[in-house]
Amino acid sequence: MRAWRPILAFAALSVVLAGCGSAETGGNAAGTGTAAASAAPAGPWQFTDGSGKVVKADKTPTRIIAHAGEAAALMSFGLKPVGIYADESVKTDANLKDLDLTGIEILGEEWGKIDVEKAAALRPDLIVGDWWPAEKAYSGLEEGADEKSKKLTELAPIVGVAQGKSIVALAKGYEDLAKSLGAKVDAPEIVAHKKRFEEAVTAFKEAVAAKPGLTAAAMLPADDKLYVANPEYAPELLDFQNWGLKVINPDSPDPGFPYWENLSWENADKYQPDLVLYDGRSYKPTSNDEWGKKQPTWFKVKAAKAGAVVSWPAYWLHTYEDFATELESLTAAVKAADENIGD
Amino acid sequence: MSSSTSLGRRASALGPGLALLCVLLALIAFLSVTLGSRSIGLPEVLSALGSMDADASFNSTVTLELRVPRTLIGILAGAALGVAGAILQGVTRNPLADTGIMGINSGAAVCVVFAITVLGVRGAGVYVWFAFAGAIAALVLVYAIASLGREGATPVKLALAGAAVTAGLASVTTGVVMTNVDALNELRFWQVGSLAGRYAPILAGVAPFLILGLIASLAFGRTLNGLALGEDLARGLGQHVTRTRVAAFVVVAVLAGAATAACGPIVFVGLVVPHVARFLCGPDYRWILPYSMLLSPIVLLLADVLGRVVVAPDELQVGVVLGVLGAPAFVAIVRYGRMSEA
Repeated sequence: MRAWRPILAFAALSVVLAGCGSAETGGNAAGTGTAAASAAPAGPWQFTDGSGKVVKADKTPTRIIAHAGEAAALMSFGLKPVGIYADESVKTDANLKDLDLTGIEILGEEWGKIDVEKAAALRPDLIVGDWWPAEKAYSGLEEGADEKSKKLTELAPIVGVAQGKSIVALAKGYEDLAKSLGAKVDAPEIVAHKKRFEEAVTAFKEAVAAKPGLTAAAMLPADDKLYVANPEYAPELLDFQNWGLKVINPDSPDPGFPYWENLSWENADKYQPDLVLYDGRSYKPTSNDEWGKKQPTWFKVKAAKAGAVVSWPAYWLHTYEDFATELESLTAAVKAADENIGD
Repeated sequence: MSSSTSLGRRASALGPGLALLCVLLALIAFLSVTLGSRSIGLPEVLSALGSMDADASFNSTVTLELRVPRTLIGILAGAALGVAGAILQGVTRNPLADTGIMGINSGAAVCVVFAITVLGVRGAGVYVWFAFAGAIAALVLVYAIASLGREGATPVKLALAGAAVTAGLASVTTGVVMTNVDALNELRFWQVGSLAGRYAPILAGVAPFLILGLIASLAFGRTLNGLALGEDLARGLGQHVTRTRVAAFVVVAVLAGAATAACGPIVFVGLVVPHVARFLCGPDYRWILPYSMLLSPIVLLLADVLGRVVVAPDELQVGVVLGVLGAPAFVAIVRYGRMSEA
């Protein structure tokens, strides 16, 4: 039976990999910072990245190629990369779709496929991509990516903040990287973004504290089954838990692909949260009702039936602004939720 | 021509055999309604079936709205795939012919991908029509390619053309799916073949085609027997070989197209079951067709029930279970030399 798991895992993996950041939701409030477009300090430069490696250079890098969300993070601090490689079209990528990308070379719009020749022509002096500790690889260069794409790392040193247990930590990591590269992180615009984020967190905490009995579960309905996200592998869900929201930990995640517990539709009622956090990568305002019509047992999740469903920014957040926007919508949903529905 | 002459059964034994298969199918259908990834007690299943009230409890919803339609689709689609495989093997005189090899599955898949990516269509109820169109178009294409040249559509040329078209269409599908997240999400599940998530609206959409196709298919017994003797002999016996072929392909496209639209491309049933039927009945297609029609849903439902119980509360897609069980079964058939020339 074990041997069959990889097939399922692959299917599920393809969703997550291909979807690392597709979404209909999650607008970007701002992003193309102009405030801190800066003269980089001369150097020497050094940075300790998520993998623990210390990268040094005689001169502070200025010609940066970055992966999608990481590029958005740098841009939120006023650093404009010369090239971006993404896992999907930059018009649909949740991190990039609202940003002004004029003047930036797009080097790839499909996971694992990077135009290294074009990248070389940009003469980059730094590559930026998240470090994935579980896979021991940088974004877009994981196992399974084109061997040709992996030659990107031969053009310049690569650094990245570790993906792990918290989006706040990730955003902070990119703030540190941006600062080391000469971004003026104390520019008023940037400070304002961060302040908005902090206020959003406070409002979220207050809303959650006012409903001590409220539980939530992160879910994704699909044709063949219902997926329940495992917060252990979803940094934003861990942040929510940190801030007091009781996000249910599924008790038997798929051993081959522990991001989710898979429930057949016959078992859709296994978890009864008061609020459904719906995977934002495929969430539309009409999704809940559509699944209610299509799947006879989706509305047996009582919160879904009651319409207590809100988009959850699944696995893509990188910036304070995006997180603030998402938190504001979540806070509204928490306030509107009935903490006794799922009981 | 066939090693099964020694095993030839007299009609008097084959009739009761069919009745026995009917009983077996009913039994498996009953299992399919009572067993699943959720354990529901037998009395509760029976009372749900008795009341026919799906809203009475969660277990009644599961029984009446999930398991009953799933079982009915399994029976119809299984029967369709088995008969379509048997007819294809007979009409092409190729023991390896099945809907996968003749380009039908990949034709259906390409059209569904086209519907999703270009036309923005969603929902299995609509996919049926695209799957149909694709199945028929692929078959026509395969037949047209195979007909080129002097000797016409010989079995070997049909198989080669089928393999070529399948490869071509599959690469188109893969190419599109890999660059389109939406299509990938929709298709990754549809491509394995599954009975899960198939409910009343889909059943209602495909059932008329499947039932009509199944009835029509039973008329092919005699003509396939004639074709099995070779084209020249069949002509000598007064058969219209081309007309028979075209009619048979239309029925196969309807059966396989509807089954594929409902469950995705389920392999092995259409390939293996006709061989089992031939092993049981000998070379007479008047028996092979109804035997395939009953044996296939038995195998399909059995595999589906298995996939539901072994990893509960999760489920395995029936396509995966059949792949795992079907390969060794096919090897066994080949190994024991029962694979007669169709």
